[in-house]
Amino acid sequence: MIEFYRVTKEYHGRRVLKDVTFQVRKGEFVFLTGPSGAGKTTLLRLIYRAERPSDGQLIVNGMNVSAMRPSRVPSLRRSMGVVFQDYKLLPARTVLENVTYVLKFLGETPAERRRRAYQVLRMLELHHRMSAFPEELSGGEQQRVALARALVNDPSLLIADEPTGNLDHRLALEVMKLFSDVNVRGTTVLVATHDQDLIRRAGRRCLTLEKGQIVEGLGEGSA
Amino acid sequence: MKLGVSLATLVDEAVSGLVRARRMTVISILVIAVSLVLVGAFLVAAENLRGVGEVVRGETAVTVFLHPGATEADREALARIARDSRLAARVVRVTPEEARARFSSWWGSLAKAASSLPSNPFPESLEIVLAPDAASSAALPGLLANLAAHPAAEEVQFDVEWVRRLRGAVGVARAAGTGLAVVLVLGAAFTIANVVRLTILLHREEIEILRLVGAPEFLIRGPFVVGGLIQGFLGGLLALGVLGLAFRALLHWGARAPENVVTLLGLRFLTPGAAALLVAGGIVAGLLGGAIAVRRRNVG
Repeated sequence: MIEFYRVTKEYHGRRVLKDVTFQVRKGEFVFLTGPSGAGKTTLLRLIYRAERPSDGQLIVNGMNVSAMRPSRVPSLRRSMGVVFQDYKLLPARTVLENVTYVLKFLGETPAERRRRAYQVLRMLELHHRMSAFPEELSGGEQQRVALARALVNDPSLLIADEPTGNLDHRLALEVMKLFSDVNVRGTTVLVATHDQDLIRRAGRRCLTLEKGQIVEGLGEGSA
Repeated sequence: MKLGVSLATLVDEAVSGLVRARRMTVISILVIAVSLVLVGAFLVAAENLRGVGEVVRGETAVTVFLHPGATEADREALARIARDSRLAARVVRVTPEEARARFSSWWGSLAKAASSLPSNPFPESLEIVLAPDAASSAALPGLLANLAAHPAAEEVQFDVEWVRRLRGAVGVARAAGTGLAVVLVLGAAFTIANVVRLTILLHREEIEILRLVGAPEFLIRGPFVVGGLIQGFLGGLLALGVLGLAFRALLHWGARAPENVVTLLGLRFLTPGAAALLVAGGIVAGLLGGAIAVRRRNVG
């Protein structure tokens, strides 16, 4: 599902990722951890083509992301759900509009969009806040809206960057359970987090990044 | 994504974008409307100048005032001169009584004075209505000289220079109006482009998010173009409404004071075609402005 082959990323001559090679197989649930500044967010940004690798090859969902034409990028992003660290909610749109936006350009009818959004928002205990705007929500609620948006189109790949950073422990565990449920249904899940307790409890494969290199966890999906 | 769904989504996004930025939308529509009101005013002026031109072309006549003692043979001789020239469409005899009646109907406030005179001061005349384009014919001066040379003709009245100048003025005014319309529509497009560009700058973060969640490029840029089109259309309709109201107010003012120039000119509003052209101008300006604003260097 995700294949990195000697991927390097540089910003103005500074190497953020160095020769990174790993694989995440279809249906796997993998954690990505490491200290702040290790390159976790950059690695995720490469997957959804917000960045291009400086060197190496990167395959996602069978598509060569390193050589992908810009016109193909939207369909790559629509094939996955992404939970951004800073949520990236549309400030002038309600919770419902934020969640259903992706479904809108997938051609779903308004009724179907609403039904699916309600389902996922209910699962995240946010169904009573559908008409609220992001600025009216707490950090935890905003994070859950971002989660709902990532899950609503039933993606084949779910990427989350610190998805539980603003949630209390109970809700963080529930979100992890939600990710597990999604994973059981066949979705590949890659979660970046530095919450070691969550990683331990989940008992899943974990890739550890340090100074731009994978130092641990190449395990079953390794190249 | 199906075409119908795409278009519906595009329009939906455009309309909700305009509603969200409603203050900016209203300003933009007003700016377009002001530009188009000016264009429309010139179209109205051009339409009425065209009307004047048609009247001049259709009603150009040479008037031959006759001596009081002119006989039927004199009138027939003068009419023959006119017919033989092949420049006359028809010859009409105007008796002194008819001349006084015309004067009274044209200048209502002086009618009483004209009828109170002890004798009729208006002379008998022959009106030689010229054939189309005869006014600019090289043979016309010869006809005027032949008519003036007849002993029964007291005076021959035809100001060919005035007619030529009026036609020239109508032509210049129409050309200037067309040029100005183009400049104003381009100005409106430029304004819309700047308004849309400002909107894009304000929504830069939102555009980035839309890209990150996989929105197709046409759904990111398209709403701005469609939004420009909608603003242009509404600006055109508003301009048409304002022009219509102003025109009605002018006619109302004219009706209250019958002697003023508005009544005399018999003003006409825009033809349906010209009105449609005005709204189309707004749509073109809106589309152009939206398209300029969503160029890659603006949208990122």
